[in-house]
This record gives sequence, C-alpha cells and structure tokens, in this order.
Amino acid sequence: MRDGSGHHPAEKPFAFRGRFFLPLVIAVYGVLFLTRPATARAALLKSGTILLKIIPILMVIILFTAAINYFLQPRRIVRHLGRESGMKAWVLSLFAGLISHGPMYIWFPLLEELRNHGMRDALIVVFFAARTIKIPLLPMMVDYFGWRFTLILSIYILVGAIIQGYLLEIFQQRR
Amino acid sequence: MGRPPFFAVLKKSGIAFAAMVPLLLGVVGLVGIFQVTVTPEILASLFGGNPLADTLTGTLAGAVAAGNPLISYILGGELLRRGISLFAVTAFILSWVSLGVIQLPAEVEIFGGRFTLYRNLLSLIFTIVTALATTFTLLLLS
Repeated sequence: MRDGSGHHPAEKPFAFRGRFFLPLVIAVYGVLFLTRPATARAALLKSGTILLKIIPILMVIILFTAAINYFLQPRRIVRHLGRESGMKAWVLSLFAGLISHGPMYIWFPLLEELRNHGMRDALIVVFFAARTIKIPLLPMMVDYFGWRFTLILSIYILVGAIIQGYLLEIFQQRR
Repeated sequence: MGRPPFFAVLKKSGIAFAAMVPLLLGVVGLVGIFQVTVTPEILASLFGGNPLADTLTGTLAGAVAAGNPLISYILGGELLRRGISLFAVTAFILSWVSLGVIQLPAEVEIFGGRFTLYRNLLSLIFTIVTALATTFTLLLLS
C-alpha cells in the first residue's frame, strides 16, 4: 500500500489480507447454519461454484501479472501508467477494462501490484468504469434492449469512464 | 541490469496472490449468501412504477445484487415489460456491474478507504447520469 509521501515500496513482508474479514464471513455462515441450514448449504454450494468459475481466471491474472512484472520493469510501468503518462495510458485502461473478464474483485491484486509500482489512481477508476461494458454480453443486450440503446449506453459509459478518472484526479489534487 | 528469471517473477506473483486468498474467499462467501438470499424476484418487487424513485431503487438494487450481468438484462427486460421506466432499468443494469456493496470491504483493504469512497461515489453518480443521458438521447432520437 502507498504511504503518504507517494513512495511505492517495492517489497512488502508477506501478510494475509482479509484476516478479519474472512472470519467474519465464516461467523455469518455459522449463524446461518444454526438458524437457516438449508440457506447456508445453498450459499456454500453457490460460493463453491463461483470459486470454481473464477479459479481459471485467477490463474490467467497471476500469469498476466508475472508477465507485466517480467517484461515491464517498475520504471517502465511508472512511465506508461504513472503521473507522467499521457493519453495512451487512458486508452489502454479503457481497453483493458473492456476486455477484462470475471468479477471486479479478482482484478484487485493485479491493480494493487501496478499501483504499488506507480500506476495512477485515475486509470484504476477508468478500468473499473469501462468494465461496465461486457463485450461477450453485447449481443444479449441488443436482443433485450435494442442496438440503439446498446450503442448509446456504451458510448456514454466510455465517455463517463474518462470523466470519472479526471474527476478523481481533481479530487485528489484538492486534498 | 539483468532481468530475473520468469519463474522467479511468477513465484513472486503467486505469493502476492496467495496473500489475497482469505480476502477473496470472504468476498466469494458473501456473494454466495447474497445470491441465495437476495433473489431476482425480491429485487424485481422493489420497483413501484415512479420513474424517479425507481431510478434510485434500480441503482441501489443493482449495487447490492451479485451475479452474472446477464441476469440483470433478463430482469431488466422483465421490468420493462411490467411498465417500469427505462431510466430505472438502465440504472439497474449499470449499477449491477459497476457498484458492489459486497466487495466494499475488500476494496477498502486493497485500495484504502478514501479511494474506495471516491470511486464508488463517482460510480454511483455516473450510473444515474448515464441512465438519464441514455434514456433522454433515445427519446430525442425517436
């Protein structure tokens, strides 16, 4: 995580994240098993199914993270995605958000890694905002809401993603 | 300066991800509970027919919902057929993907409270703005 001075420590000691969060969720399951066992079993089964679905995507993200770290040294990451980065970085973040697959939270570790190497926060916002467009699901959206709706919504989402990134930088500069 | 071997870099990335496992398991566990308890039927029952109130309801319902975005399209199509406004349905399908109440604890832990607050506030505002802009543009074009 960043410190207040804006330095990005490259090496952090190993520490599990969610040390309080996971026990809390387990406790919720415990209460659910005591009060509504059928719901608890169904939720656990659902979670297992989700986990099985996201494991392959996680594997790809780990490989992708390693590839970025291998081919792009931290210095280059800062140059491409840091404060000095230009329009290319914004377009890259938009595009990465568009093609990224799976739930939002599985992208947190990769983005944290890039952020620790100097990626600017605005690009993370752009990435998340662009993810609202799900390319594989566009035909379904057209089927349900029409091509005109899909096209207009997609354009507004992309424009909105860039504006959100800029606004975040303005908020952060005001601090 | 020499580049470290790829396997070493991969191992480092693997270790970094291993540290995230409890956090990810927590989120997945919560998503499971939400998907079982907050059913599409419950979400659909929240809409009353007032375009303004429904737009807000759609945004909030989408934010607490979890699951494949396709479910939001199916549900959105059903809501439209029931006469719920396009404003509300658009806000609903947008916030389903862009806002996530369940993942907030993980987002705070990874990115910090301030960033999470800013991002989610911006996302909330833009969900409503995008829903309004899309619907108004469609109205103008038709």
